[in-house]
Amino acid sequence: MSDPTARQSGETTDPLLLEVIRNGLDTVADEMALILMRTAYSAIIRDSMDYSTAVCDAEGEIVGQGLTTPMHLGSFHDAMRHLIREYDGDIGDGDIFIGNDPYLASGQHLPDIYIIKPFFHRGRLEGWATTIAHHVDVGGLVPGSNSIGATEIYQEGLRLPFLKLREDGVDDPKIWRIVEANVRVPHLVLGDLRAQVAAAEAGVRGLDELYTRFGADRTRQALADLHDLAERMARHHIAAIPDGVYRFTDHIDGLGDHPEPIVLNVALTVSGDTIIADWEGTAAQVKGGINAPLSFTKSNVYAALRSVMPQEMPNCHGYTRPITVRAPEGTLVNCTLPAPCGARGITGYRIIDCIFGALAPALPDRVTADGAGGSTLPTFAGRLDGKPFVFSECIMGTWGASQDEDGQDGVPHMGSNQSNAPVEMIEAGYPLRIEYYGLVPDTGGVGRRRGGLALRRDYRVLTDDCFLGVRSDKRAFPPHGLFGGGEGTPSMNVVEDGNQRTVLPVLPTVPLTLRRGALFSHVMAGGGGFGNPLEREPERVLDDVLDGRLSREAALRDYAVALDCEGGIDREATRAARAARESVS
Amino acid sequence: MSTPIASSATGAFRLAVDIGGTFTDVVLMAPDGRLATTKVPSTPDDYARGVIEGCRQILLRENVAPSEVAEMLHASTVATNAILEGKGARTALVTTEGFRDVLELRRIRVPRLYEPLYRKPPPLVPRRHRFEVAERMGPRGEVLRPLDETALQPIARQIDAAGIEAVAVCFLHSYANPDHERRAGEVLRALLPGRFVTLSVDVLPEIREYERTSTTVINAYVAPPVSRYLTSLRAGLDREGITAPLFMMQSSGGILDLETVLQRPALVVESGPAAGVIGAGYVGRRAGFENVIALDVGGTTAKASVVERGRYLTTDEYEVGGGISLSSRLVKGGGYALRLPVIDVSEVGTGGGSLVRLNAAGNISVGPQSAGAMPGPVAYGRGGVEPTVTDANVAMGYLNPVAIADGTVAIDLAGARASVISEVAAPLGRTVEEASYGVLAIANALMARSVRSVTTSRGRDPRDFALLAFGGGGGLHAVGLAASLGMRRVIIPPAAGVFSAFGLLYSEIEFAQSQGFLAPLDAAEPAALENAFAVLEAGVLHHLGRPADTIRLRRRVDLRYAGQAFELAVDMPKGAFDAAMRDALAAAFDEEHARTYGHSLPRANPREIVTLRVIGTVIAERPASHLAPRPEQREAATRPAYFGEDGWLDTRIVERHDLATPLAGPLIVEEPDATTIVPPGWTASLDDGFNILIDQTVEVPA
Repeated sequence: MSDPTARQSGETTDPLLLEVIRNGLDTVADEMALILMRTAYSAIIRDSMDYSTAVCDAEGEIVGQGLTTPMHLGSFHDAMRHLIREYDGDIGDGDIFIGNDPYLASGQHLPDIYIIKPFFHRGRLEGWATTIAHHVDVGGLVPGSNSIGATEIYQEGLRLPFLKLREDGVDDPKIWRIVEANVRVPHLVLGDLRAQVAAAEAGVRGLDELYTRFGADRTRQALADLHDLAERMARHHIAAIPDGVYRFTDHIDGLGDHPEPIVLNVALTVSGDTIIADWEGTAAQVKGGINAPLSFTKSNVYAALRSVMPQEMPNCHGYTRPITVRAPEGTLVNCTLPAPCGARGITGYRIIDCIFGALAPALPDRVTADGAGGSTLPTFAGRLDGKPFVFSECIMGTWGASQDEDGQDGVPHMGSNQSNAPVEMIEAGYPLRIEYYGLVPDTGGVGRRRGGLALRRDYRVLTDDCFLGVRSDKRAFPPHGLFGGGEGTPSMNVVEDGNQRTVLPVLPTVPLTLRRGALFSHVMAGGGGFGNPLEREPERVLDDVLDGRLSREAALRDYAVALDCEGGIDREATRAARAARESVS
Repeated sequence: MSTPIASSATGAFRLAVDIGGTFTDVVLMAPDGRLATTKVPSTPDDYARGVIEGCRQILLRENVAPSEVAEMLHASTVATNAILEGKGARTALVTTEGFRDVLELRRIRVPRLYEPLYRKPPPLVPRRHRFEVAERMGPRGEVLRPLDETALQPIARQIDAAGIEAVAVCFLHSYANPDHERRAGEVLRALLPGRFVTLSVDVLPEIREYERTSTTVINAYVAPPVSRYLTSLRAGLDREGITAPLFMMQSSGGILDLETVLQRPALVVESGPAAGVIGAGYVGRRAGFENVIALDVGGTTAKASVVERGRYLTTDEYEVGGGISLSSRLVKGGGYALRLPVIDVSEVGTGGGSLVRLNAAGNISVGPQSAGAMPGPVAYGRGGVEPTVTDANVAMGYLNPVAIADGTVAIDLAGARASVISEVAAPLGRTVEEASYGVLAIANALMARSVRSVTTSRGRDPRDFALLAFGGGGGLHAVGLAASLGMRRVIIPPAAGVFSAFGLLYSEIEFAQSQGFLAPLDAAEPAALENAFAVLEAGVLHHLGRPADTIRLRRRVDLRYAGQAFELAVDMPKGAFDAAMRDALAAAFDEEHARTYGHSLPRANPREIVTLRVIGTVIAERPASHLAPRPEQREAATRPAYFGEDGWLDTRIVERHDLATPLAGPLIVEEPDATTIVPPGWTASLDDGFNILIDQTVEVPA
């Protein structure tokens, strides 16, 4: 049965057919993601799921994306433009490209490696199947290749411009061997690269089915129309935001033992159906691995703005057309060679937090108070039975409160939808023991709606000379509340070794080595609160106390709710306490 | 069915009952395989009442004495509903010290991108009822800290004071050494008589603490409601004189005795969909198709599943309330993790009642919002105003414009057309039939996602399968969906409206046990492996409680390439665990890996054993089913129906019997509980099992 909903190509695709094709594209991208996850080797991909997949049109613009990592997805565009510019005229069916360098391949940071396969239909380049995955190690100063202490990208590991990993169907063994020689755990990295190749091949197969079924002209037209549809929807929703300039300033705590605050400053100009995000006033790039290339900054701005638009909008590049990102060169958010970028994720999270902070006055019912700040990437490395090991995981924290609900506990940052690694899998595979994994009471920012609780994970080291890396934040500048809500509690990293207790800097710049038996206690920040805490219903306060999320003392101190000795609310005392508080303020 | 099936029968009758949201379906099978069916309204306040009523009616109608029923088979959503509606038991959880939040933290990831206001499902056990005990095992089963038994006493007191009905115990690494869990279970059972206490090692002795905890908690949470329901049902059946043993469908496709269900109710959470797949496997095999895709199109969802070489596929990545779709496989967290084998049924929120909406930017959506049973589609005239997929089917002439369901549901053709025109056709500048046809194409594309999720996403090509469709909307969508996936054959079985109940009759009594067994494939100690399998087999035989020669035992091994996080299960043949066996297992695993993911690794790469499984099945002969449709001798009739590029065609209305001689489409096959569309270019015929076979026409007959 042919498909009669379609019209001739050249004119706009029927919305009915467009929806059919859009479903097909998202399915292909999801299938790619599933294959990558299932066949990957490293914990960071297979368990934490730090990777992304997408299908692009011939120009390299995303037309369908897997349910993966938002902060990756918006950067495909710049990388694809880079690749197409560089290889124009030399892109063949049967080629597969590899690349990772922020400067030579519009990459994000060296651990994120692109594997990209062009899609040809009847001899014509019609699209791309693209994957990016965070590799557990790409060499450089420290295991995991996230050195905060790097001062130049040359120290960060293997730099790959866009190269042909496969040409005309034949693998280039030289590239595989170069990668193998430059990374600490080649069996994991090569296994993960193979998983990416398998996913890209599946993507091309899926695109081919779509083109065969609907015809090349019609499908090509549909992809163009999909961008237009997303653009129309985005403009419609931007137009609903009151015009104005919305500003926000946030800070990264700073680097090393004597951290100096690093400022991020955004001005969002909403004018009609367009938005300009201008990062003028943001700190200069730093001599530490947290600088964001422009492609990454744009990606995070897009992700944050996408998330205040409706769910049903197609996730294709067209939605970014009404959005302009301006970032002065040589700053933290548009770094230039040779600025190092290994741990730039932290800056990405902060970019998203800034956009939400700026939008709060305009869209108080669409954003939450500030959260724990994103994945902190604890990394452990050393030798086990004579062989090197690197274990790295994406630990995520909690969200701030929203207008209607308390902050969620144990959820990913909006920027990267990642998972924890199972405790039992970690202990079965690495010389580590997790001694605590759970919530910490009295850590959520106070408010009519309370911030989410801080997450704590304690790692006991069971091997000699274990390297530890971590990229935390939000100690000097804990998550902010909104509309009278309080801050969440600050983050904390402590190492206990025998009787010695050492507080680690949030972003350590010198390599840390833990002795066998040492305990690394990793506490993330609590989420910010929303609204006046004295307006919080005493029943909710009581529930928090009964659930061990709030102590009785904090109930009285922070919410002016008194509990009686049976564990119920002392209404009389509560009324009095609240009245006294209000008369003071 | 006009003559009661008891008339010529001697021997044992079997009764099968499946409870759905609206109807409870009952099928009675005579010893010679003849079937009788009925539908009665479900009774949500006490589902047992509807079941008993349905049984009583069919036995009376078919003149069968209750004592002649030898076996009663049952599928029910009682466990699922308890979870979805939050009406399970007040449940406590006891964990290793430092880990009581594992249940609530889940795997962190959420099923939605770009959604800052997302709310995750609340934990089935609130934090105040999650208790910690000092104890600790290591990953190899070594005791790192002894169990503090005295700590269990104050915990038991608190559990008692809180009115808790069920307790789940899950300690870290208990799959490697269950001693602490078992001891804690003994102590708690002694301190809390009458309470349901369940241990993770009895429910799921496998690695990964969140999934094991969640599964154990589900087992505790649904046990009291399931027990109450089954007790009430048993008593009611006894009162009717139906004293036959009662078996329940498990999510994995086998059936279980009542005793086991009471101990491990988590096994029956998805019993209804599983029964339909078993039925599809039976019908397909009998019709000569070893490879079929079962498609169940209902009012709010469509579910797809695969039967391959006569076997159905299972998954253990299910989430109750999260569905099993392609996306939920990828991004979990939308429901409650249940890591037990479930027939791999992929579900999408697209069915007859799915609402069709067009927004201001010109974006059209079909579902997942549904008009539900009330108000239902506009065409049903029960107050629905928004167009649904059913209304599009009515507007195109596919559904009878006067009444459906044996005349019991009147159809408002004008209302259906008007709703499609005002909501879709007019804003798009299209005719009502063009718009309706487009809606159908979108619905089919969404349903195709569920089919792809169990085929292409698992390395299977849908074109190698026949599509077996059932449920209220199966026949309406089957051919269009098949065409969009390049599938060339469609099967519409008889009794399509009570198909899950039918499938129960062909399920087998089955019990499975598993055991975590982490070891390199090439270095696993043969004696240890054989011993672990022997323990599992003895447990399965003991459980089934029948002579060993009536039971088929199957060994399976979950393998992965060392370093991967996901395993694939392969059958392990009988024989010594020698080099040849290891090579055979590696080869079988490689083949499955290549098929599923497109590549495999050379033999030099180490492979790991993760879990051992033993499945015991009771061997039983089942008679071939026989359900002759009732000839109605209606007047020959036609009505116009719309077929896209072919436009409106005068289309013959036939009944199943008329297809004894193959007929070329366009045709509409109308039956009391289903309508089947045969578009131009397809030909329908009948096989000797009374299945409608629809094939792409090779040459249009003159």
